[in-house]
Amino acid sequence: MENNMNSGAAAQSGGMANVRFGVYNQPSNIAGKSVKEAREQFSKLWGIPTDAVAYKGKDKLDENYVIQPNDNVEFHRRAGEKG
Amino acid sequence: MTTETKRFVLVGAGGIGNWLASGLVRLLEWKYPGSGLIIVDGDNYEEKNRERQEFTKLGNKAVVKAHELIPQFPNTVIIPLAKWVVSDDFTGVQAEDDAPKIAASQLLNENDIVFAVVDNFAARKIIFDAASRLNNIDVFTGGNDDELFGSIYHYQRRDGHDITEHPVNFHPEYENPPDKNPGELSCQERSEIEGGTQLLATNMAVAAFILGRVQKTIVLGQNPEESEIYFDLGLGKSEPYNRTVTHTNQYTTV
Repeated sequence: MENNMNSGAAAQSGGMANVRFGVYNQPSNIAGKSVKEAREQFSKLWGIPTDAVAYKGKDKLDENYVIQPNDNVEFHRRAGEKG
Repeated sequence: MTTETKRFVLVGAGGIGNWLASGLVRLLEWKYPGSGLIIVDGDNYEEKNRERQEFTKLGNKAVVKAHELIPQFPNTVIIPLAKWVVSDDFTGVQAEDDAPKIAASQLLNENDIVFAVVDNFAARKIIFDAASRLNNIDVFTGGNDDELFGSIYHYQRRDGHDITEHPVNFHPEYENPPDKNPGELSCQERSEIEGGTQLLATNMAVAAFILGRVQKTIVLGQNPEESEIYFDLGLGKSEPYNRTVTHTNQYTTV
């Protein structure tokens, strides 16, 4: 299910949310930013691929979803494949 | 020690599975004597595997590993199954010189504890999907990349309900696997798959993380809240993710 209910909504500036990608986990003052902006902020630091889907729980987030305070936004990290 | 017995089904006895087998059999031997360990693999140990895998002779991985463990662990019933695990709707032809196939739904039983440590998403998905049709089952999976990154996942069902989510809900690679199940390829196609250059340390770490989850959720019976764990041995970091179906997924400050 794609969650885009807040797409285009007025940005609620400020507030803490959590951003995660693989082994990385960073509480950050990113509420009010879009998923796209969060990705840009963390991609260089963590190496998030440009096509990594963002999730909030099981819900896939639209790039324009506005992150809300206390959201847990997870950028998909591909599982280990080999063994 | 308990009188309870378990049936562990280890699918894949390669880079991760051969180390995991050594841990699982010890757990069964001393915690659950009289239990069963089924080792399933259609592939063969080859000399090139020796850098990351422990085996005493060449041959089918399930058979060789089982024959190594049987004399050491008399209180555990160890059964090798030299077969490839395939989906129920597999219609390919069985080659004469290849190991036979077994459908995942035929392999898995109620109350099994399954370890899917094969080297591709396609075969793991087949196992998860078969497990999703059973009422009570645990499936642990794990894998790594060619370097120091790895991850594990615990899918648990009780009384016909998912306790943790099917991994397809968080991983597009399980929804549409980018790889192929070797059991559903011809011998020729299988020989053309690149072996890669995995690391012993990462294979062993995946096995250790899975054993840790077994200790917490099976032996101690605790909730599988750390359902998925990512780790990076190079960074010295690991991170648990709660994939239980009741998890609210809200970030809260303490």
